[in-house]
Amino acid sequence: MSTQGPDFPNLVPTARSMSPGDFAGKTFRSQSGIEARVQYGNKAFDKTMDLEYSNITETDAALIHDHYLACNGTLYYFGLVEAPKSGNSTFHLGDSNSTNTSNRYSSAPFGLRYRYAEPPQFNSVKPGRMSVTVKLIGVLDS
Amino acid sequence: MTYYSGKDGTLTYNGSQVAKVSNWSISSTVDTLETTVLTESDRSYVPGLRTISGSATVFYYDDAPKSLLERVVKTAVVSESDILTIKLGWGTKYIQGSCIITSAELSCAVGEVMQASIQFQFTGAPTGVTL
Repeated sequence: MSTQGPDFPNLVPTARSMSPGDFAGKTFRSQSGIEARVQYGNKAFDKTMDLEYSNITETDAALIHDHYLACNGTLYYFGLVEAPKSGNSTFHLGDSNSTNTSNRYSSAPFGLRYRYAEPPQFNSVKPGRMSVTVKLIGVLDS
Repeated sequence: MTYYSGKDGTLTYNGSQVAKVSNWSISSTVDTLETTVLTESDRSYVPGLRTISGSATVFYYDDAPKSLLERVVKTAVVSESDILTIKLGWGTKYIQGSCIITSAELSCAVGEVMQASIQFQFTGAPTGVTL
């Protein structure tokens, strides 16, 4: 099991996109075109969550930067607090397919753990303001 | 209470007043940076970068507009040495700052007095403002 880092900063993003990932499996296609699919696992993985923070203060940008370092970059997984997942409460809550707490933007109910997919990108806008792009990935942790 | 009119207006560059100025104008705009986040239903902004630019028209009487025109209309390349201090005044009031002449236009037409039109862009903040 990988080490857990501190929770992600409690910041509401400007934009967010999420892909729920896919299940492990393999597709076989015969010469006649018939397709057969074999499922290897019962959990979707590689769930992705992209967060955009536009024109935030340098202080908030520094929180993300320091969190990335505290998580040893892309190595440690971490908890995602509510603010980064807020804004679509109907979608976010009430996942009837989940046996756990039903939060579609979360990773834990689906047996996944978020970590940084790549280093966050920091863009300077003007003195005191920066824009940050964060890419997270939900992986099946050993 | 005092009204101001065209007769009160002046245009000065590097300390020298330009003669035969027909009109000048100045405009200041501020960009907005959007800070709206997902939980908000109204857009929010913070001030971004400011841009100040202006224009002036000078009658071509003797060499009145020459010093302004030759900042950009010349055989040599335009360089940082062509940045000049422009002061737009009316009465005792003024706006002053370092400017780059971004456009110079000379027009000569039948039945009209020859005139030069210039446009300028402030670089940096105004160095003096009295409104």
